[in-house]
Amino acid sequence: MKLSAHYNKASIIVSVTVLLAGAVIYFFAINYIARNQLDRDLDEEIGELFEYINTHHQLPKPVDFDEDQTTFVKTDHRVSTRFFDTAYKNPKEQKTENGRAVEGSVALNGLTYKFTIVISSEGTEYLIQIIAIITLVLMVSLVLILFLTNRYVLNGLWQPFYKLLNQLRGFNVSEQLEHHLLVTKVDEFKELDQAIEMMSLRVKNDFQKLKEFTENASHEMMTPLAVITSKLDTLIQDESLKPEQFEQINDIYGATSKLSRLNQSLLLLVKIENNLIDDAEVIDLKYLLTDKLRQFQELIQSKDLNLIANLISHEIMVSRYLVDILLNNLISNAIRHNTHGGELSITLFEDRLSIQNIGKANALNTERMFDRFQKGNRSEGTGLGLTIVKNICKMYGWEVTYCYQDSMHTFQVIFEPSTIL
Amino acid sequence: MKILIIEDEQGLRDNIVSYLNADGNICESCNDLSGAISKLASYNYDCVLLDIGLPDGDGFTVLNFLKKQRKEESVLIISARNSLDDKVKGLNIGADDYLTKPFHLAELKARVEAVYRRKTAHSNNKLVFNEIAINLFGREVEINNKPIILTRKEYDMLLYFIANKGKVISKSAIAEHLWGDEMDMHDSFDFIYTHIKNLRKKLLDASANDYLKSVYGIGYKFSAV
Repeated sequence: MKLSAHYNKASIIVSVTVLLAGAVIYFFAINYIARNQLDRDLDEEIGELFEYINTHHQLPKPVDFDEDQTTFVKTDHRVSTRFFDTAYKNPKEQKTENGRAVEGSVALNGLTYKFTIVISSEGTEYLIQIIAIITLVLMVSLVLILFLTNRYVLNGLWQPFYKLLNQLRGFNVSEQLEHHLLVTKVDEFKELDQAIEMMSLRVKNDFQKLKEFTENASHEMMTPLAVITSKLDTLIQDESLKPEQFEQINDIYGATSKLSRLNQSLLLLVKIENNLIDDAEVIDLKYLLTDKLRQFQELIQSKDLNLIANLISHEIMVSRYLVDILLNNLISNAIRHNTHGGELSITLFEDRLSIQNIGKANALNTERMFDRFQKGNRSEGTGLGLTIVKNICKMYGWEVTYCYQDSMHTFQVIFEPSTIL
Repeated sequence: MKILIIEDEQGLRDNIVSYLNADGNICESCNDLSGAISKLASYNYDCVLLDIGLPDGDGFTVLNFLKKQRKEESVLIISARNSLDDKVKGLNIGADDYLTKPFHLAELKARVEAVYRRKTAHSNNKLVFNEIAINLFGREVEINNKPIILTRKEYDMLLYFIANKGKVISKSAIAEHLWGDEMDMHDSFDFIYTHIKNLRKKLLDASANDYLKSVYGIGYKFSAV
């Protein structure tokens, strides 16, 4: 539930409760006041009655008091004065209304009479009804207004919040986009916005520093690696070394070269992520692929692979350096993970490049295969090849996909993913 | 050939000097920019090995100095930065080649010779080693004046071996020279064996001496004897 709905609910419940309680209290209070008023009227009537009797020494006739209905009944004992609700028969309209009565006793000429005075309370009840209706109307309109205000005004107030939310959703630590400050009069949102801006700046800064660190660390490692390599190159000139020692040296060579390739790959990733490679030119993939296949010819022949290449002329705008690495990684993977005497099929379509190879009879983990340092059990690579492929594709807005069917592993580079969907 | 090595990492510098100090080459070295400038100001060299990252400035200053003084030294940049920009910048200011660290000394030697040959190519486009004569422009090889046909890899390998004659070259250095980063080393060792076998057979068939010796477990040597 949205915050405005929560707020709406709470405010409507509270206001309805308060209004209802108020209405009840209001009702009783008015009722009480009205009754008091009636009783005071009746008191006055009694006063007038006594005055009449004292003056005229006889009971008044019913017509003497126009609206009130006064009745006298002879009684033999005194009745204490009391007020009570009763029915009032309206003589003009011939109907019974609610009324208020008082009874008491009066002595006249040695006799005791019980008198009852009834007056109509219709007027006051009418008043109460009117007040009740007005209160009800007020209540309904208040709830309605509250509802509408909450809905439109509050939602409007929250708009900056949703804008911020969208900005946060679109936040990418590697993008150098400026944070657009919100235009809002609400202090809380302003503060939130400033806090987010500061946070994103800090995060981006840290990320940038981390990347610089990676780059510097990788560079710094190259010189010691060069020292190791040159020492080894010098060491092997000594032909009095035993074959076992040469074996050890060979392993050191292997590790050094792997370390250096790992470093190069990390540096390349940093460069791609920082968009530092921008030497794009128009390149015909057909020629490039033909060239690549010639380069890999030996490897393909050594594994007795059946090469099926269907190439059409397709020009793309790309950095020669990067597309070279992309093709190298994909094709060398397809050869390395091929079975002996297997099949390698490279097809260039209008919109995509497809590289298929026969390989292990189970699909690769598609979720993690493009992650750093994910590699097959027997892979000698750095574990960065596919990450680099993916990053190059991302840089040019391409999409790289993988699928597996009947021992056939297929990687596709889709050049304009949006047009296919 | 007179070579100046400008490199601040002592371990690397010493090894380069001792490796290149053969075949009548004379190597001098220095470890910073000011030393390099003063040496270059007073002497002439055939080739300069230049590290870009020096403690007292970057190596491009040396290139600018050479250009301003109109000096003819060939310059081979050795840099820890495998950066396209640096490469382009260096080559634009007048460097002849760019080698990224880490590198094999054999590769460095081959590059130095290639750079030097290119500089002196107008007078000499033929590389002669005993009975082997190589026409560098046409990429043709003759043995005792009889041409032999080599594949591209065999030709590259022969040049590489001649540049490093008398030195043991590791398989990993050969692999890197022939294939660069394209191949995992384990894949390429078998290919090296095949290529060397073929090259050796072609040389022997043309009645050249048996120069190519296998050094067990580590690599090969083109013995100059």
